[in-house]
Amino acid sequence: MKAKYFTLSLLAGLLLAATGCKNFLEQPVLGQYEAGQFFTSDANVVQAVNAAYVPLSFRDPASNVLWVLGDVASDDVVKGSNPGDQADFDNIQTFNITPINSAVEAQWKRDYDGVFRCNVVLDGLPATNPSISPAVRAQAVGQAKFLRAWYYLQLTTIYGDIPLRLKVETPEELQSPARPQAQIFAQIETDCQEAAAALPPSWSGADLGRATKGAALALLAKTYLYQQKWTLAAQTAQTVSTLGYTLLPGFADNFRAATKNNAEAIFSVQHTSGLSPGQGSGLNQWFAPRPQNGYGFYNPTRSLVRNYEASPAGVLDPRLDYTIGRKGRDFFGVPYDTAWSTTGYLSKKHLQPLSEIPAPIKGDGNLNFVALRYAEVLLIQAEALNESGQSAAARAPLNLVRQRARESYLNDKSLPGFGTVPAGLLPDITTADQGALRDIIRRERRSELATEFQRFFDLVRYGPAYATQALRDKPNFNYAKNKFFPIPQSERDTNKKLGI
Amino acid sequence: MAHATRLLLLLPALAIGGWPAYGQGSALALAAPGQQATPASLSLPLAGPRGIALESILQQLKAEHHAYFLYRSEIVKDKFVDLGTLKFRTWEEELTYVITLCGLRVEKTQHNVYLISLPRAPGGTSRQAPAGPAETALAGLAARPAAEQAAAPAAVTVQGQVTSPDQQGLPGVTIVVKGTTTGTTTDANGRFSLSLPDAGVAVLVISCIGFVTQEISLQGRTELTVTLQTDSKALDEVVVTGYTVQRKADLTGALSQIKQSDIASIPVTGVAQIMQGKAAGVAITAATGAPGEAIAVRIRGVGTINDNDPLYIIDGVPTKDGINQISPPDIESITILKDAASAAIYGARASNGVVIVTTKRGKAGKARLTLNAYTGLQTPANLIKMANTSQYVNAYNVAAQNDNRDQIPANVISSLPDVNWLKEVLRPAQQHSVQLDISGGNDNSQYIVSGSYLNQEGLIQNSSFDRYNLRTAVSSQLSKYVKIGTNANLSYAKTRQVGTSGDGFGAGNPGASIVRYALFRTPATPVYNDLGQFVDLPTLNGKPAAAFFGDGINPVALADAADRNFNTYALLGDAYLEVTPLDHLRLRSDYGVTFNIVDYKQFFKTFGIDRTFNSPPQLAQSSTKQFNYNWTNTLTYDLLLGKHTVNILLGSEAIKNDVQAISASRTGYANQSPAFQYLDAGNGISLNGGGQAHSALLSGFGRLSYDYNGKYLASANFRRDGSSQLSPGRRTADFYSGSLGWNIAQEEFMRPITAITLLKLRASVGQLGNSAIGNYPYASLISNGGFYPFGGISTQSQTIATTGNPNVRWEISTQSDVGLDVGLFRGALEITVDYFIKNTSDVLQFLPQPSSGGQVGTPAANAGKIRNQGLELELTYRHGAGSGSDWSYSVSGNLATLRNEVVSLGGAPPIVGGRIDNNYYATLTQVGHLIGSFYLLQTDGIFQNAQQIFTSAYQGPGIKPGDVKFKDLSGPDGTPDGVIDGRDRTFVGSPIPTLTGGLTGNVRYKSFDLNVFWQGVSGNKLYNQVNTDIEGFYRAFNLTERAATNYWTGEGSNNEFPRLSWTGAANNKQPSTRYLEDGAYLRLKNVQLGYTLSEHLRAPLRLSAVRVYVSAQNLLTFTRYTGLDPEQGTNSNSLGDGVRATGIDFGTYPSSRVFTVGLNAGF
Repeated sequence: MKAKYFTLSLLAGLLLAATGCKNFLEQPVLGQYEAGQFFTSDANVVQAVNAAYVPLSFRDPASNVLWVLGDVASDDVVKGSNPGDQADFDNIQTFNITPINSAVEAQWKRDYDGVFRCNVVLDGLPATNPSISPAVRAQAVGQAKFLRAWYYLQLTTIYGDIPLRLKVETPEELQSPARPQAQIFAQIETDCQEAAAALPPSWSGADLGRATKGAALALLAKTYLYQQKWTLAAQTAQTVSTLGYTLLPGFADNFRAATKNNAEAIFSVQHTSGLSPGQGSGLNQWFAPRPQNGYGFYNPTRSLVRNYEASPAGVLDPRLDYTIGRKGRDFFGVPYDTAWSTTGYLSKKHLQPLSEIPAPIKGDGNLNFVALRYAEVLLIQAEALNESGQSAAARAPLNLVRQRARESYLNDKSLPGFGTVPAGLLPDITTADQGALRDIIRRERRSELATEFQRFFDLVRYGPAYATQALRDKPNFNYAKNKFFPIPQSERDTNKKLGI
Repeated sequence: MAHATRLLLLLPALAIGGWPAYGQGSALALAAPGQQATPASLSLPLAGPRGIALESILQQLKAEHHAYFLYRSEIVKDKFVDLGTLKFRTWEEELTYVITLCGLRVEKTQHNVYLISLPRAPGGTSRQAPAGPAETALAGLAARPAAEQAAAPAAVTVQGQVTSPDQQGLPGVTIVVKGTTTGTTTDANGRFSLSLPDAGVAVLVISCIGFVTQEISLQGRTELTVTLQTDSKALDEVVVTGYTVQRKADLTGALSQIKQSDIASIPVTGVAQIMQGKAAGVAITAATGAPGEAIAVRIRGVGTINDNDPLYIIDGVPTKDGINQISPPDIESITILKDAASAAIYGARASNGVVIVTTKRGKAGKARLTLNAYTGLQTPANLIKMANTSQYVNAYNVAAQNDNRDQIPANVISSLPDVNWLKEVLRPAQQHSVQLDISGGNDNSQYIVSGSYLNQEGLIQNSSFDRYNLRTAVSSQLSKYVKIGTNANLSYAKTRQVGTSGDGFGAGNPGASIVRYALFRTPATPVYNDLGQFVDLPTLNGKPAAAFFGDGINPVALADAADRNFNTYALLGDAYLEVTPLDHLRLRSDYGVTFNIVDYKQFFKTFGIDRTFNSPPQLAQSSTKQFNYNWTNTLTYDLLLGKHTVNILLGSEAIKNDVQAISASRTGYANQSPAFQYLDAGNGISLNGGGQAHSALLSGFGRLSYDYNGKYLASANFRRDGSSQLSPGRRTADFYSGSLGWNIAQEEFMRPITAITLLKLRASVGQLGNSAIGNYPYASLISNGGFYPFGGISTQSQTIATTGNPNVRWEISTQSDVGLDVGLFRGALEITVDYFIKNTSDVLQFLPQPSSGGQVGTPAANAGKIRNQGLELELTYRHGAGSGSDWSYSVSGNLATLRNEVVSLGGAPPIVGGRIDNNYYATLTQVGHLIGSFYLLQTDGIFQNAQQIFTSAYQGPGIKPGDVKFKDLSGPDGTPDGVIDGRDRTFVGSPIPTLTGGLTGNVRYKSFDLNVFWQGVSGNKLYNQVNTDIEGFYRAFNLTERAATNYWTGEGSNNEFPRLSWTGAANNKQPSTRYLEDGAYLRLKNVQLGYTLSEHLRAPLRLSAVRVYVSAQNLLTFTRYTGLDPEQGTNSNSLGDGVRATGIDFGTYPSSRVFTVGLNAGF
């Protein structure tokens, strides 16, 4: 009897199990959305947009290597630190560049990841998506398009002809050829224009740092400049000028944590120290001297130092000491030691004093990376006007930049002789000769925008003669071969339609 | 016990047909203990059957005691027993008696399974010639030539005692006069007395369950003492297989067994290590020699580029990782199911093989207490010879001269320290283990309770492994039909880790190997300064001298600061109910649970005097909880139809898995002492995270086995698995396997060949799955896309993190196996040979997508085919075991070959693995080659002169005589192009051994026993990555002595080590065959000498058995490998690459040489 009882209960149990089968195998994903169920609320949309900003960050300067490709490749900066440390960055510096170079790989992956994240947003927000409010949708689309344009402008200036991806693609669709640079530029223009139409002029509070109408227009102006569409560049830069941006009286305030997101900053990569997870700048550690718990990378060259003008009495452009640490000068409160650098110089725009960021948290800097600032827009305008034959008109924006620089003597109490602009320092430019003005604007741009990660792209833009002269110390440099970096091997290996 | 008495006297004497033994006329009294005076029952030679049929006795015992008997029906048929008034203490005693009386043998295996067979000798049916002592075991017989020695053929009384190997009297031993129905059993003291007609010719058969049956020819003696040997063979006869227990003779699949005796002899710390070198085709590789380090178990090669770990079934509970929580002394046996026929019953989880672990159970009898303990000392061995200070300075200055750089001033050399950094970081360490168990019970219920503690310090400071185990197993027969049992293993393990391998690149690894830094560090830098602080940066005359003596990290300080802890709390247990409602039908329901908590806690201290390495101080913690249950129901039915036997197994199984994890960290610890290493004490950045995942598997399975007369065997398996891990609609898959066996030795024509006792041919084929595909591979998932500080406020983001493939399914491996089992010389020599082919198809690949598609997890796709094939040989020779001789020895060895090949990658490009430098990968997994083959430039000696450089392929600027020359093998169009670059890399070997083996020898002489165990591999290569740093000489790192003293100095001086030059190093240190070495080794894994105390030494201590031993592990290693240890697996850099990157040595934590003293005692 007992056995029967047990047997029966066992069979009953089995039967129960059998009927429960279907439900038993339902074990849905926990804690994550399945794609396709995500774009169902405004809050989710904002989170998806936020993701498109993340690749901008310099939290990890080994994977965001704009500083290597933009400056270490140029005549402004050398890699620094110890020989052999980040050997592939040395290879960029010496133009011993292969498609497996880690900097070449890193920037490609990072920028295309940005493009992907933008496409996730745009794919999720067709006009037919009923769950999202129109205002949120418009702002999200605007930001995504601005960021996509930003990433593509970097990509095409670095790599030239590249694949163009405008949606989240399937493995089959990802097999696609490189598109001509003109087609990439055209897409960037479209994205910038649509972004400018959709974005607000400014953000505040917890949205500070998002893309604005001004950012989209400034990026558009820069895109025109890179294409030598001079008239459009000048016009667009002029439009930006009407949006209320001004040059800060203190040049150095562009590179201070206390004066972030100021009236000159049009678009900044946001960094904040002390957050968790960490969202500070790693450049503060990479570029700082070793004794301050830095890594000692990114050392400015003598050539760059010599670019700064001096007054007839030998007073140097004050921007030199705002930009570069050198012998005999104060370096964020301590005397400068030339042994810190392989060239004798250290950069300053990305560093903070130890009083703000002490050595133990060196890699969590509080400085934004100012990606687009009004001074650059003025220089774009000056260059575009000069190149389009309006040399006289070009002098106005140029002189605004020079004026602010020399008037540091009226604003910075720490400068010797504060209160009076030294005679003949950075005088207003008066020439209307297009060729002479071209040289002046280029030199001005180099001084003003030094160590802002774009000198090499300017060199390439200026053409073979200028670039070859500037890089005469790099025997491996060949303009035709090196004006673009190679598309990385990982892409060549996986994208068979690339055609290389 | 009520059932122990049996009165069968009322039955008439019945003739026993077909039992020629009864033809012998020695009719005599049947003696029962204490009843010698009553020769009541007569065993007369009658023509007809008499007594009770053996079959019905067995059936009754089975019903009453729920025993399970394995026998061929024809051997018990037509046998009858008359038990007279004999009383038995236990039913097992009764069983032994009736079986022995019938001229058969019984052996008990685990799980109440009793094996009934004919005696080993083909005889047993006719009386043996009494004279020849050769055939019957004489030894162990303390013959006392008593007065009656020359006895007349009148009835004599033979008296004596039967003892166990530890000289204790054995009660309940059956003693039967061979070929008669005369017999008795021993009393409580093991004594017996037996009347028989003629002591001169009689042969006594002495048997007891658990001991080797002995036959003793009396040769006239009337008083004797017999020592029975413990029967370790019984376990050999049955094998725990998928969901059942099978007779080994009936097996048609390929499996390897590791028995308790193998386990006891090696003081290893983990269960996986037990299997090393013990089973053919089972390769066990510890990642490094560090305590508690992960161990890779690979059964029959590497079948996939993904998960290759086998499925473990521990006492019926399936688990992937629970094996680490079991204490080795708790293990009774391990069965490794290698082929499809054996493993297919586990379906989708079995493609990497199945390891069935059975833990010890209580045995009926009085309570028994066992103590196993050892203590040992571990020492580092085979250290690499590094340059001393004067050799280093010399090498440095030679390079400085070559490169026009500053030399180390000669006058300072004498004032510099000379540190051997390997000796500074590798120190002798202790190891202890103690295990105590108490077991016992009665016929109805048995129990075992065991507790153990293991402590293994590491050779490097702050690395160690501690494990505490508590285990209980209880089973009870509730009624005639119902049995229940439960088994629970509780454990706590603490692993303290330091960097053991790798260079620290990548997330989630414990940091760069300490040994690596010890190798780098120049001898001219002291460990401590005058204040007793750790020295960071080297100085010379008070000034930093990193250019001369390197800026590496002080490895002693690094080890000192290491504080990485894993606390694992685990429960593994099950409860079962077994019902036997009908004869031959068993229903079993098993509920098993594994519950694991892994707590991780690491404190990153800020340390160092010249600089800070990790800052600010940070505490990181996480806790992962994993709960699995399985509910397994099986039905087994044995259908016996004459010479046909059919066994049916049907079952269902439901498995649920749930994992939850939380993590947290904080920075900012003003007080870094352990008392403040808690999250609340930090005041800096805090982080946290957490999540959950779950999965379920629902299965039905069955097996049909057929056996004709023990000659022809066949079996078929089926399993249907349904899994939540596959996309709805594609959730189930079916797995089939079949096997055939032919017991050739059972054929008539083999009978005359008495030397061959076993000859069995086996063949099997079937399909298995690999369910390790992750939880939601079908779905594209949105998850955290990082944080961005809008307005200075930390803001979360989300984006697509992984892309799914709804069509993804399990990897399938199709395995075929042909095997031959041979037993020679009455089983003294056993040989098993297997040849297998294992084809894995639908190999899951995460095909690399263009990086322009975003940094998103790529979808899994079933592409890829991988083949493994190999030959396995297992061989055991025993001599003198169980004979009671002073001498006995045994040798068992195994050898396996393996050929691995990637047959297809489904059109995907070759997969790189094993990052050894920025964008440099050591291995390539490509069609036509082994998984994870080394893919490197080939060196071609050293350029001896400028002429050679000029006439060779271009290697880059600045190549000088004395630099390494590489072979120009290819170019852009596939032919040599006169330029050395990445295209000239080629396949130069693989880390997968083509030959693995082990050899164990046991010798016993009287009370001494010696065990020697060798293990080795060959045919594999190791990439000595750390040699690129310590022989490549591109920075101020120390060099090996050979590189520092044996460099190229001029034409013809050296063709192996290049000139010393930092500028030349760019060429010379390129990853190439210069650093690829033969990984073959032969290692004396264990040698152990034991001594078993004799009775007169033990008696005063009231001990029933005592054995003391000394043992040495890793005493000798024969290898050509120049690194610290040829035994190494995946380094911590390459964890993500799995089997695609093994055998890359970044400076491994070496295995230690261990000397132990141990004790096994029974009370």
